[in-house]
Amino acid sequence: MITLSSARPEGDHRPMGFADRLLSLPFVQRSDALRSFILGAWLGWQIESNWADPLLFAVYSFARPLASVMILVVMYSVITDGATQQPIFAYIYLGNALYIIVGGMLAGISWAVIDDREHYRTAKQLYTSPLVGYAYLCGRGAARLLIGTISTIIVTVFGVLLFGIPITFGSIDLPFLIASIVLGLTTLSGLGLIIGAISFQLGRNAWQAGELISGALYLFAGALFPLDILPPVLREIGLIFPATYWLEAMRRALLGANMIGFQTFAALDNTAITFILLAMSVGLWISAAFVYRWSMRQAREKGVIDLETNY
Amino acid sequence: MSSISLAVETHDVRRIYKIRGGKRKGEAKTLIALDGVSMEVPRGELFGLLGPNGAGKTTLIKILATLLLPSSGTAKVDGLDVTTQTQEVRRRISMVSGGETSGFGLLTVEENLWMFARFYGLDNKTIKSRLAEMMQMVGIYDRRSTKISDLSTGLRQKMNFIRGFISDPRVVFLDEPTLGLDVTAARDVRDFVKDWMAQNPDRTLLLTTHYMAEADELCDRLAIIDKGKTLICDSPENLKRRLQSETLFNLKIQPLRKPTSPEDVIEAVPGVRSVTIADQIDFSELRLSLEGEDALPAVLAHLSGRGSGLLSLEKREPTLEDVFTQLVGRRLDEDTSQNSTGEGR
Amino acid sequence: MTQIKTPAPPTAKATGAMLFWRTMWARAYPRIVGSLVRERSWLFFETVLPLAATAGYVFVYQAVGAPEEYVGFVVLGGAMTAFWLNILWAMASQLYWDKEGGNLEIYILSPGPLMAILLGMAVGGFVMTVTRAAIILIVCSLAFSVTYTISSVPLLIAIFFLTMIALYGMGMMFAAVFLASGREAWHLANLLQEPIYLASGFYFPVRALGFWVAAASSLIPLTLGMDGMRQLLFAGDATLGFLSVEVEAIILLILSVFFLAAARFMLTKLEEIGRREGRLIERRR
Repeated sequence: MITLSSARPEGDHRPMGFADRLLSLPFVQRSDALRSFILGAWLGWQIESNWADPLLFAVYSFARPLASVMILVVMYSVITDGATQQPIFAYIYLGNALYIIVGGMLAGISWAVIDDREHYRTAKQLYTSPLVGYAYLCGRGAARLLIGTISTIIVTVFGVLLFGIPITFGSIDLPFLIASIVLGLTTLSGLGLIIGAISFQLGRNAWQAGELISGALYLFAGALFPLDILPPVLREIGLIFPATYWLEAMRRALLGANMIGFQTFAALDNTAITFILLAMSVGLWISAAFVYRWSMRQAREKGVIDLETNY
Repeated sequence: MSSISLAVETHDVRRIYKIRGGKRKGEAKTLIALDGVSMEVPRGELFGLLGPNGAGKTTLIKILATLLLPSSGTAKVDGLDVTTQTQEVRRRISMVSGGETSGFGLLTVEENLWMFARFYGLDNKTIKSRLAEMMQMVGIYDRRSTKISDLSTGLRQKMNFIRGFISDPRVVFLDEPTLGLDVTAARDVRDFVKDWMAQNPDRTLLLTTHYMAEADELCDRLAIIDKGKTLICDSPENLKRRLQSETLFNLKIQPLRKPTSPEDVIEAVPGVRSVTIADQIDFSELRLSLEGEDALPAVLAHLSGRGSGLLSLEKREPTLEDVFTQLVGRRLDEDTSQNSTGEGR
Repeated sequence: MTQIKTPAPPTAKATGAMLFWRTMWARAYPRIVGSLVRERSWLFFETVLPLAATAGYVFVYQAVGAPEEYVGFVVLGGAMTAFWLNILWAMASQLYWDKEGGNLEIYILSPGPLMAILLGMAVGGFVMTVTRAAIILIVCSLAFSVTYTISSVPLLIAIFFLTMIALYGMGMMFAAVFLASGREAWHLANLLQEPIYLASGFYFPVRALGFWVAAASSLIPLTLGMDGMRQLLFAGDATLGFLSVEVEAIILLILSVFFLAAARFMLTKLEEIGRREGRLIERRR
């Protein structure tokens, strides 16, 4: 007879595999931050990926992003009678596809904070261990970024094949694309970390903090429509967000000559945009370091690191 | 005993779980949690279910509390069938578990309790008067306006106790109620149980625990349960009386070398009925059950032969722990999945 | 064997409708107190974010030169997302959350009906939901100068309430389905967010999807509810409607009855499965 205490399903563990090999590297072993980042990324991947489950793959990488973009496609088609070859369509479509990455980067870290705290209830264990908190959180965000990138690629390929979005080998400006990706990720991760750090101070609504910022950026960053449409005051707000420049850079890098130009960015060439992103990157990472330290101290003072607010 | 005077009655209750993890992928294993449990608990009794982790105590309580259906057999609470008369049973019972996390962190103690009481259909006037009385009784009246997220484990469990008793249940199920509590909080909880039973002599309380002393202190009668079966059911006094023909010793000895052959175990010494050994850092603790005091010198000689000197020796009265060891062949705190093959550690 | 009558429970406790009523308000209480008194930060999150999203869609229409009434369609759709999100996140996935928090066991154990508990969650969340919907409606209507021409107030009220009854009936049914699916509930809630915004025509008239897709989407009460309300709020544009408002009202009535009955059946079934299989109800980690 089997007793209850021995009721553990067989094969219920996943080896760490690649992450384990990385953690065994001598330079990783010497760095708490690298170890924390790798562990965070590994954990994030375990939580977020689950490719073995077709439903989850369908939900996060396919159904949600495609539904979002299809809402815009239908809206556009109702008005223009399906004129998807117009440059404005590629602008809207690509902005929406790329925005999946922005949303993932901004909301990913704050989501990890709330997920550890309210769902897995492991915040206590995590923040009493010798992990480097910000590196761990960046790791969690990196896993989400990877999944977001897969969705973006799926949605973009879908657009190229079905709606004729004009991305070709000839249209892509590779060096500018690489620079845009690197700088975009650094900038957005800095911002994501700031939002994540602030999430420690918030109740259950913290998971929305990332979505709030990404939602606001969605409106002001020219993701769905050119900034020229916005009233002048709101247009100025859009110009202080890094995602605005990143989306412009990515569209230019991918669409090349097929990219529709608008008044707002007419004065900025590719180099100028690259420098703006670089400056924002540095500024945000310095701010993130300060905000993170301040927020952790506040959280410890108030005793809210392992807060559970379920109602 | 007639059905009307019984608060709890089970007849040959079996419960089998299907769990994943068979040899082939997708295949289910079965796990027998209860293997034909029959028992009768009269009204007004504080009845204990004693057994190690995984013995089936919680499964039985869950069946009686309508959270789980038996795979076969019948179970009645307050004369009502738990399988078919679920709603009626629920109006008469309640359950409190140790380490319970129920409640809403942002509500105060008073608000949480009010909410749970309303689930039982109580009116506000009754709730108000009973709440004040019970909060004073368990000593959390001055914390009634504290959000439960700010309560200590002990205070939270006291609140859970009030939740369990505020609906004035006829039968209360307490599942490991002092689990994780400090000595003072556990004593408060036990005092509350005793007071409630004294004030409500027609009510019944079923307690599961693996703390022997708690069962001994509280229960009128108890059943020892192991591997899904009831081994014995009697009052603590009668259970201990069974061991009065035995002589019990506690020995502290220097760490004991492993036996070299199956014949080299302490159980092989003439006059030894059972033994359990708990290894500490720099000594071992032996609980010996002997046929008589004259068997002791042979045991000491055996220990000495295995290189272990005596540190202290104490003759003692039988406890429920001894009853359990005698019945099951191992100590209560041992994992049930381990085999006991002599020199029971 | 002679059946012996068992004594009544010791304390007089409410049963039937009174028990339902008390249970419902008791479960609504944490939400009401939570949203109005203890954690008011939701007001910010629950209004700014959807306002931004709704405004975003309005700007898209403006960017492609859509006629004026489409702005009104988006504003109404944006306001109605509040109800859909309330169903998904505060009702359908809530039994799962409550299981995780250790409360579901107490609900099941108590004589209070599970439907009353679910309705309590919805009622408790209604403060937030209605506020969110109203703010989107008012702010966006003013900001984008939306003109409403209501053709029939009684019919508008009837459509709205029928939509709500059917919708919350469906939410209760989802709660049972989500919990029984054995998956983590938010995956299912996520699956039903944007895809339903698309299928139900939150931001465009649903007939744009073609008859059969619109007909299939009509299983979601908000599809016909929004279509009917758009026809009644923007009287000049009945031609953009999917079915006539009267037909939509009848279908919504049928859906209301169906979903409430289905919810009741499935919640009973859920409890039965939970008790039989020893899972679903208790927290396992």
